[in-house]
Amino acid sequence: MAQTGVISQKAEAIYERQSPAREALRRLLRHRSAQVGMALLGLLIFVAIFAEQISPYDPTKIIKESKRRTPPCIHLLGCPKDQPQHIFGLDSNTRDLFSRVVFGSRLSLQVGIASIGFAILVGGVIGAVSGYVGGWTDNIIMRIMDVLMAFPSMLLAIAIVTVLGTGLINALLAIGIVSIPRYARLIRATILSVKEMEFVQASRALGASPLRLLVVRILPNAFTPLIVQGTLGIATAIIDAAALSFLGLGAEPPRPEWGLMMGEEKNSVFNAPHLLIFPGLAITMTVLSFNLLGDGLRDALDPRLRGGSAS
Amino acid sequence: MKHRFTFVLFTAVVLFSMMLASCQPPAPATEAPAAPPTEAPAAPPTEAPAAPPTEAPAAPAYEPMVVSAENCDYGGEFKSIEALDEHTVKFTLCYPDPAFPSKVAFSVFSIQDKDYLDANQGDSVKMSDQPNGTGPYKVTEWKRGDSITFEAYPDYWGEKAKTKTLIFRWSAEAAQRFLELQSGTADGIDNPATEDWEAIESDANLKLYPRDGMNIFYIGFNHDLDPFKDEKVRQAFAMAIDRQRIVDQYYPKGSTVAVNFVPPALVPGASPDVPWYDYDPQKAKAMLEEAGFDFNQEIELSYRNVVRAYLPNPVVVGQEIQAQLAEIGVKVKLNEMESTTFLDATAAGEKPFYLLGWNADYPDASNFFDYHFAAETNLQFGTLFEDIVKEIRAGGQTADPDERQMHYTKVNELLKEHVPMIPVAHGGSGTAFKASVKGAHSSPLGNERFSVMETGTDQLVWVQNGEPAALWCSDETDGESLRACEQVYEPLLSFVVGGAEVEPALAETYESNEDLTEWTFTLRKDVKFHNGATLDANDVVATYASLWDASSPNHVGRTGNFEYFTAFFGTFINAPK
Repeated sequence: MAQTGVISQKAEAIYERQSPAREALRRLLRHRSAQVGMALLGLLIFVAIFAEQISPYDPTKIIKESKRRTPPCIHLLGCPKDQPQHIFGLDSNTRDLFSRVVFGSRLSLQVGIASIGFAILVGGVIGAVSGYVGGWTDNIIMRIMDVLMAFPSMLLAIAIVTVLGTGLINALLAIGIVSIPRYARLIRATILSVKEMEFVQASRALGASPLRLLVVRILPNAFTPLIVQGTLGIATAIIDAAALSFLGLGAEPPRPEWGLMMGEEKNSVFNAPHLLIFPGLAITMTVLSFNLLGDGLRDALDPRLRGGSAS
Repeated sequence: MKHRFTFVLFTAVVLFSMMLASCQPPAPATEAPAAPPTEAPAAPPTEAPAAPPTEAPAAPAYEPMVVSAENCDYGGEFKSIEALDEHTVKFTLCYPDPAFPSKVAFSVFSIQDKDYLDANQGDSVKMSDQPNGTGPYKVTEWKRGDSITFEAYPDYWGEKAKTKTLIFRWSAEAAQRFLELQSGTADGIDNPATEDWEAIESDANLKLYPRDGMNIFYIGFNHDLDPFKDEKVRQAFAMAIDRQRIVDQYYPKGSTVAVNFVPPALVPGASPDVPWYDYDPQKAKAMLEEAGFDFNQEIELSYRNVVRAYLPNPVVVGQEIQAQLAEIGVKVKLNEMESTTFLDATAAGEKPFYLLGWNADYPDASNFFDYHFAAETNLQFGTLFEDIVKEIRAGGQTADPDERQMHYTKVNELLKEHVPMIPVAHGGSGTAFKASVKGAHSSPLGNERFSVMETGTDQLVWVQNGEPAALWCSDETDGESLRACEQVYEPLLSFVVGGAEVEPALAETYESNEDLTEWTFTLRKDVKFHNGATLDANDVVATYASLWDASSPNHVGRTGNFEYFTAFFGTFINAPK
């Protein structure tokens, strides 16, 4: 009995190894930091989707009856019942901080995903053209990308926002543009290594068009590193967006953007710290979740690390 | 072969770069000797040849200067300014002006050496490089973007500065200023944040000096621009703003809700019996609908993120106004601008809706009214309202207080009718110093005098909100610039330390005729400028001429607007048509 059990387990393991995607998912689910990352991210997405139901107040509405910058008041923790409950307290404009932080999750996720999506799309096309066509085109495009990368990314983003004008959309674009080279390089590298492989040659010999070769045969190979880079990239994008807003170049008041909320209250570190702590914590949590998930994804998907990392 | 070629190429590149590197040190060395000769001759000629001519004519025959207008039809206040002798200047006015001594005591009208003025052609920027005044401090260095260092002037005519070195720094962040004061790197700071007042008062090492609210914070409209061309729209906005709440929530104690544009202490000027519109959002909304106001448009509310006594927290107050207007369905977009750009844009009449304020320069209602509603160079509210201008001019030229008040009451009524702005608050503010600083004070006019302060060491560090725009202030309006200039330059008269009464400065005595149209100032005899020149009556005439006479080669300034001059004394003479 015992022996057959072992054998069947082995058989199962062999069966599972046959599907790389499933294998990767299994590794990911077992990966400790990925678990934490996914839990945090899940919570965040839940909060973002149900922001209206979760938040007790309108994030931009001024609560006229209360005094501004009131510290947090939670009834469960002994705050007198006659005072209105504000879990995170009130901000300088007597708005409920908790509602603002909750709604901020929407903006941050949107900004992170949209800007990286933009970067992957544009960077992907550039990298694919560059890698597939090769020669002078490749040389010129990649040197331009090198120039872009040579700038400190934050500085370049600020310069772009200055040209485009402040606003969340422009900040989003700026961050997207700044991250283009990373994805262009990634795609190009994959294409260079895959383009001369036998299965591509075979497909070409069978008369596949260049576009079909690129999209169907070559690009799927770039999928894995792209997911890892993209996940980590979202974390950076969220931080950059918060930094731009902090400097007053991103979201415009009264939008509940975390970076903006911190920027507005940067003078309150000593006299009303709750105004900085909660948005700061929210940013930290979000970025941490993406970073942990990204790490887990890399470990799960990268064939070179396979075997050693899951332990 | 191929490798050898690359190696040779590489070596060549390395050697070339080393050559370049070794060449670099000599390069500045060859430049460095070149620079001083070009500068050195530049500086002495302006001073050296300039000095003999003044001394030469001064000794044998003094030639008194006269500048005068042909007649009084040009619209300004001055008829003539003449040097009677070396130490006497006479101003003849076109109409009586009871506030004349207060106006003359304002630091924009500080006296400059005529030759220095001529040498620099009245260019404020050039003159800021090597400021030359008569004050207790002289400027030794202005590190742009960082600090200004002043040093006590040993030949000062009056009581010499008690602390040898004075350093001006600036930071827009109230928390940073406060931190500097707490950590001891600053001896005094301007405008501590409302939230930090308690902390300062409870700290035995620090002392707070509250400043009375002789100022006004207002929400300005430009009635030449959409959507504020319609008077009804402006009136509706005036009813939609809950001013009481703004003052209660965002201003330190000692602040009051504004009833008129002028602070209540200034009588004649304020009219408590002409109260502002009551807060009534429903009525405001109804009025807007009636006026056909487009609720879909987004109105831009411009402001500068600069803390002033009248506006302790611009961003937060801006959002409050945005939220209040959102309640009646008006969409507002906040537009934060750089301070100087913002001031220039509003004065040029480019901004339809903005937050701004005013700190009194001298304690008279004309200081508030004239600059804002009767100065032709100031387009911040759009074209001037003729009826308001008429009453302001009449009030400014009337000596009898009761009659003056009648004109000003009419002005307040008209302001309420036309609503070029919404007066919101008279903000209390203050300065904070280390408790050990003797003579520390705050001035209601914002012109703290550091020469009377004693730190016990030889250095006093002052951190204010912003960097001065220039160190010759004839063409400046910003208090941050004026405060720096006040340490270096002096007008004929000045205000007492920490107060608003006029006292003699460069003029030892002054008198006027009974109509208040002729004012004669007798200058001190022992006053020397920082460049060594002696003060005489021609310096006074030349300085005023550079402001007043648009055809003067010295009529340059920084922007060329001379807003204060036109606000105080009306139009220029010889202005190009």
